[in-house]
Amino acid sequence: MKKAATGRPFLEVFAVALKENYRFPILEIFAFLYAFGTFIFAGLGATVAQSSEIFAHGLVSTLTGIPLFILMILIWANVAYGLGNDVEKGIIQTLLSYPLKRRAVLTAKLLSALGVALLLFLGIQLLALFILAPDIARIYFSTISLTYLANLSPSLLMAGIVLLVALILRRGGLALVVGIVLYFAFSIISSMAFFLAWTGSDFALKAFALIYPNMALDRYYAGFGTPSPFGPSEMWTPSFSEALGYIGVSYVIVAVIFLLCYVYFDRRLGI
Amino acid sequence: MSLIVVDDLAKSYGEVVAVDGLSLRVEQDNIMGLIGPNGVGKTTTIKIILGLLKQDRGQVRVFDQNPWNNPDIRHRIGVIYERAYFPTHHQVLDYLKRVCRIFGKPESRAREILTLTKLEDAYDRNIKALSAGMLQKFAVAHALVNEPSLIVADEPTSNLDPQARSDLLDLILELHKNEKTTFLISSHILPELSRVCESVAIMNKGKVWASGNLEELSEKLGAKATRVSTDKPGSLADEIKKLNYVSRVEADSRGVTVAVNAGEDERLYDDVPRIAKKIEAKIAGIESGTASLEELFKLAVRSGREGEDQK
Repeated sequence: MKKAATGRPFLEVFAVALKENYRFPILEIFAFLYAFGTFIFAGLGATVAQSSEIFAHGLVSTLTGIPLFILMILIWANVAYGLGNDVEKGIIQTLLSYPLKRRAVLTAKLLSALGVALLLFLGIQLLALFILAPDIARIYFSTISLTYLANLSPSLLMAGIVLLVALILRRGGLALVVGIVLYFAFSIISSMAFFLAWTGSDFALKAFALIYPNMALDRYYAGFGTPSPFGPSEMWTPSFSEALGYIGVSYVIVAVIFLLCYVYFDRRLGI
Repeated sequence: MSLIVVDDLAKSYGEVVAVDGLSLRVEQDNIMGLIGPNGVGKTTTIKIILGLLKQDRGQVRVFDQNPWNNPDIRHRIGVIYERAYFPTHHQVLDYLKRVCRIFGKPESRAREILTLTKLEDAYDRNIKALSAGMLQKFAVAHALVNEPSLIVADEPTSNLDPQARSDLLDLILELHKNEKTTFLISSHILPELSRVCESVAIMNKGKVWASGNLEELSEKLGAKATRVSTDKPGSLADEIKKLNYVSRVEADSRGVTVAVNAGEDERLYDDVPRIAKKIEAKIAGIESGTASLEELFKLAVRSGREGEDQK
């Protein structure tokens, strides 16, 4: 019997997914929005920094604001609505008739839906950083990388959750609604946790930082003293290793959610 | 050799039992029809055979392998779904070339099979711009890319016009004859299945109610019918009903159709002229034949209902 060759079929399914997700002019429009969102807000924020390192962290936090929302739109469109609709309408069953393992089909779809969106996001962001503040970007590259890691974790978590919802519910539209609700719920909970910490109870802030680790990183830099763009220094301020721990835990949570998606798709999902 | 072996298969969706103890074999070089009323579990069975659904109980082997998450057997199976869905933002020829590359076939095969399925005018059309009938033809072309030795088709002629249906049935017969392709075809359009299928499995209540070729089934189910042409069908039918070896009698304006218990055909040939003489009816002819697929199908449905009534 002919053994399934995974390389070529995988690349072809990936190419099919790319064409579906980024047909003209979707990629061009989102590239423009990323660039517009990055550069237009580049001058704001991070102006009251105590040190260059804090400035680097603040600059990245400012640059990612709007583009992270644009990334979320792509996640809603490609992961929640796109993949959910593929399962709902049966395109997945066509892809599963090709000589590929189920997990390879899901990986090809995710690489297109999420991987390309992330690559575009990071490409434009790093380009902007090296154009706007080349010295800061070069000297504090590790701080910048860490800030990106901390900022991207909630988006990836939400992508994982909407993927799981899309696979379980098998309804693209419903997964899209869940994704949007989740995003705004995150924003509201983040504000509430910060407010509670301000009033003296920092438990909610610490708990929320497990899935929103930039909160921990912000608080770490706020601990350098006032004036700080990241809130008063009297509130909870983790050590650097604690902040790193929060980032690590958040990615473990992201990995667990994606693992659940893969296990469900690989072993359970009936189409 | 059996290409598909299904043993004691069961699948439920919550409280709804779709398949319940189904067993089935599809032999190599056979065209098997899977028929049954709506909601009887045909599509569920096909999806389990294709590895798209997991069964709750039982065993399924395709090419002697478990079909779930098994890319190796995909090289040998072609699939035509009842409702064809493809990534829509691709052109017909481009997409099929891609599928050729996926299966390691030369790209020239894409043009060949589009010609075979009479889609040569649609090369540059976007898949989403195809009509329902053309999309179904495209699904057939898609199923042929890997030169499969087994094609599983769920209602393959749905959405096709009469000419396209006839063309597809011709293609099935041609592939079967020339490439020795084995088919498992589920369909509601029984005259079409009669035209191409060498054997059928009749499903009812989530099980295979009966299977075999038409001759065997007619014999087994007592559905082998004898047609008596007469000028007094009503009176003749009433008299024939009194014979204890007769299982079914139906009269129409031109004659009587009689089904007898297995092995009793000869007795009917002796008794009918005697009865006709008694009631002074003229007999224009007596001939025996197998029941049509439609008659068998009706018998299955009727039997299912009676079984339900008895419960």
